[in-house]
Amino acid sequence: MIETKNLTKKYGNLTAVDDLNLTVKDGDIFGFIGPNGAGKTTTMRILVTLLEPTRGQASVNGLDVRRHGKKVRRLVGYMPDFMGVYDDLKVFEYLEFFAAAFGIERRKRKSIVEGVLELTDLQSKQSAAVDSLSRGMQQRLGLARVLIHDPKVLILDEPASGLDPRARIEIRELLRELKRMGKTIMISSHILSELEEICDHVGIIEHGHMVFSGTLEEILPRLGIQSKVRVKVADSQDKAVELLTALPQISQVRISGDYIAVTLHEGQNGDGIIARTLVNADLDIISIQPEKLKLDDAFLQLTKGIVH
Amino acid sequence: MNTTLLSFFPKLFNPVWLTGPLLDKELRVSSRRRRNYVLRFAYVLFLTIFVAIVWLSVVKFQGTAAYQKSRMSLAGKTIITTIVMFQFIATQLIAIIMLSTSISDEIYHRTLGVLMTTPITSFQIVIGKLFSKLLQLILLLAISLPLLAIVRIFGGVPWDYVLSSLCITLTAVIFSGSLSLFFSIGNRRAYVVIIKTVFTLGVLFAFFPTVFGVLFALLSRNFAPILRSLGNVTPILMVLLAHFNPFGAMSLNTAAMMSPTMPAGMPSFYWPLHCVFMLGCSALLIAISIKVVRKVALRQAVGQLDLTSKRKYRKQKKALPKAPGVQEPAGLIRRVKGSPVLWKELRAPIIQGAEGRNSIIGLAVTIAALLLTYATCAKEKCLDMDFTHIAYTLMFMLIGLIFNMVLSATCITSEKESRAWPILLATSMNDWQILWGKAVGVFRRCLPIWFLLAGHIILFVSVRYIHPIAIVHMFMLIAGLVVFLTCVGIYFSILFKRTTSAVVANFALAVVLWIIVPALLGLVTSTISRDKVEVFEAYVSANPVVQATTIMGGTGGQRNAKTKLSKLDFNWLSGNHSEGISSTTTLLLITTLIHISAGFLFAWRAKCRLRRNIF
Repeated sequence: MIETKNLTKKYGNLTAVDDLNLTVKDGDIFGFIGPNGAGKTTTMRILVTLLEPTRGQASVNGLDVRRHGKKVRRLVGYMPDFMGVYDDLKVFEYLEFFAAAFGIERRKRKSIVEGVLELTDLQSKQSAAVDSLSRGMQQRLGLARVLIHDPKVLILDEPASGLDPRARIEIRELLRELKRMGKTIMISSHILSELEEICDHVGIIEHGHMVFSGTLEEILPRLGIQSKVRVKVADSQDKAVELLTALPQISQVRISGDYIAVTLHEGQNGDGIIARTLVNADLDIISIQPEKLKLDDAFLQLTKGIVH
Repeated sequence: MNTTLLSFFPKLFNPVWLTGPLLDKELRVSSRRRRNYVLRFAYVLFLTIFVAIVWLSVVKFQGTAAYQKSRMSLAGKTIITTIVMFQFIATQLIAIIMLSTSISDEIYHRTLGVLMTTPITSFQIVIGKLFSKLLQLILLLAISLPLLAIVRIFGGVPWDYVLSSLCITLTAVIFSGSLSLFFSIGNRRAYVVIIKTVFTLGVLFAFFPTVFGVLFALLSRNFAPILRSLGNVTPILMVLLAHFNPFGAMSLNTAAMMSPTMPAGMPSFYWPLHCVFMLGCSALLIAISIKVVRKVALRQAVGQLDLTSKRKYRKQKKALPKAPGVQEPAGLIRRVKGSPVLWKELRAPIIQGAEGRNSIIGLAVTIAALLLTYATCAKEKCLDMDFTHIAYTLMFMLIGLIFNMVLSATCITSEKESRAWPILLATSMNDWQILWGKAVGVFRRCLPIWFLLAGHIILFVSVRYIHPIAIVHMFMLIAGLVVFLTCVGIYFSILFKRTTSAVVANFALAVVLWIIVPALLGLVTSTISRDKVEVFEAYVSANPVVQATTIMGGTGGQRNAKTKLSKLDFNWLSGNHSEGISSTTTLLLITTLIHISAGFLFAWRAKCRLRRNIF
């Protein structure tokens, strides 16, 4: 659905995006992560035809963004990192304005606007002036605007920035709902824990380069990160440590509070062997829980903090 | 006690207590801005051009050395007057433009509230902003000082004139700048501040004196015996008024220098008194600004949006979350019809920020002032004179053109500044749809002024004070200019990020096309190639002011209105050429076509650049 090949964007001597290759499949939520100034926004702006690439290709639904700008714009709903609003419009008028801008017939507009207002829970604000809305409400309105022409692809640049926890949860739920509706979503955010929960794929970009692209599960072997398991036994914690340390698959064992933190050698999946060893030794196991790799950890390992 | 006193005096003479760190910050920032260097270059360039024009027109190349020497004193006076007047007008305009975003930028970027969380006072904020810009203006004034000193060698120009004119200019600049700063507190858009400041200055220093003059003329007729007993009060009143009016002060000061022997009964003009008055007015404005800035800053510091008016505050309060399920009244929603950009432009208020009561008051005052001038003309029996209609036409036309230039240069930069532009470009609307919508929006906002012009002409055509052909001629002239200036303005609006830059560029183009180039051409033809005078005349004939003057001169007045169409006589270029109806119409048609073609060229360039420089 979204594809870039050797995409490059230069501003004078500064290379904002450098030979970027990425692919987002139909119906996926793609989390686009990177430090400030890494080139996320520039890539997104190229994909929505607001910027021309210096070199390389970018396409949405097979349409080249350079050659088929208007068709691409019909396909894509774009929400910028900072949403400008018209001072003198009301919420309903604002949405209807964009519905008209996307060429939606007049007779259909009212029901469409009401539909997106309902989806974004903004019905009670339809007569409010756009510039008087709170930040959270404006972000919601931005999402409503993005949905107004029922685009297949949503490109959202930090849609949750500056929102309170409740509003962030609501936006997350809304994105899940949109995924269920079959939308392809490309989303950038600095709140990695949120992306972790909703994204199928992530792309980590730094200094204009894509340093990783794939599922969260794929990151682990790629990074060579060792698996970690938390083991909790009813008693004889020291005996359990002794037994586990002797296993060749395990590189490190240490007691951390009321559980044992076990680090396996690279590429090893030790749940089975740990359980067998402890059961054979007649130890009562309370839980064996693999420690999930956090996106924050992957991000920190993959990026060096280089900014333009 | 002694320690306190000892520390008080160094503090008093240290400018930091006055401006805080703001002046330092502003000076640092301004030194990094390329536009300030461009401004200085442009200022010197224009000043040089003006001085060159005056030099070449006063000091003729022909004649004996003795003759040329004898003209040196006059040349010195004329050149110094030119420099002084140039500085007087230019620095005021620059001050208005420079200070038009001084406080609104801080409000818009939400830094005003942050400043209030520091020990910086609102007094330091206002003074820091004002002084930082004034320092740059003083630098511009200083640029001309060597030139003024050199010209003094020619003789005839006393030092006290140089000093007094500089002081009058400086105090006028401080006042205009303070006014612009004051308006920038409540208005986010630079062009609104510029228009409001120029309008206020116009009301204070042109409209009120005119009304006073008219009333005095009427009174002097009705109460002639009483006034006669008081002696010749007119010059006394003139000089008295000049003390309260920088334009009057400068004119009187210059007149006194050019002819040191003033008419009998004319009282002395004390320029220090005028300067003190202007400084007092500026201090008052600054004091009010300090008070308002503090209110706005505190409001922002406690988390309220960057809104200054009560109306907007109420609007903001209304938007606070209501209980779930509570629906806001939906009565005032207007449905989008036709092209969305066009719809949005058409529903916007004519002047942003001047909706409702303010616009009604403004309209009422304008109409009242206009009716007053008509009533005065009727009383003076000059409504059937051609010069009356020339004056009205020029007034309406120039106001219309200024609005057209400002609004067209603003229409896209304002969207860029509010960051709504990328969203609009991300829709599937094509470039021409957007441009067309914007152009119609500009035209619609200027429409009230064109209605006034059309109303004036049609009214006096109907009473046979203007020939009906004037409707056609003026339509051709205005149509060409509106298309040209709208397209040029939109082009600059696309080219620049900031509204102020686009507006200044649009004005600069008009000034170059219609003032600088004709002046240079005139200079070249009068001094170097006298045989090329036709080129100069042809170019000047395309000048909108010349065309409007010629049209109304040929069609205005009772005599012309009753003349047969074929017998109408149009005096082009102050009577040098007299043309009939056909050649005049042809000339106007050609000019209109040139304006429209040039306008379309700019529109096409605007279309090409529409999606560049978006952010």
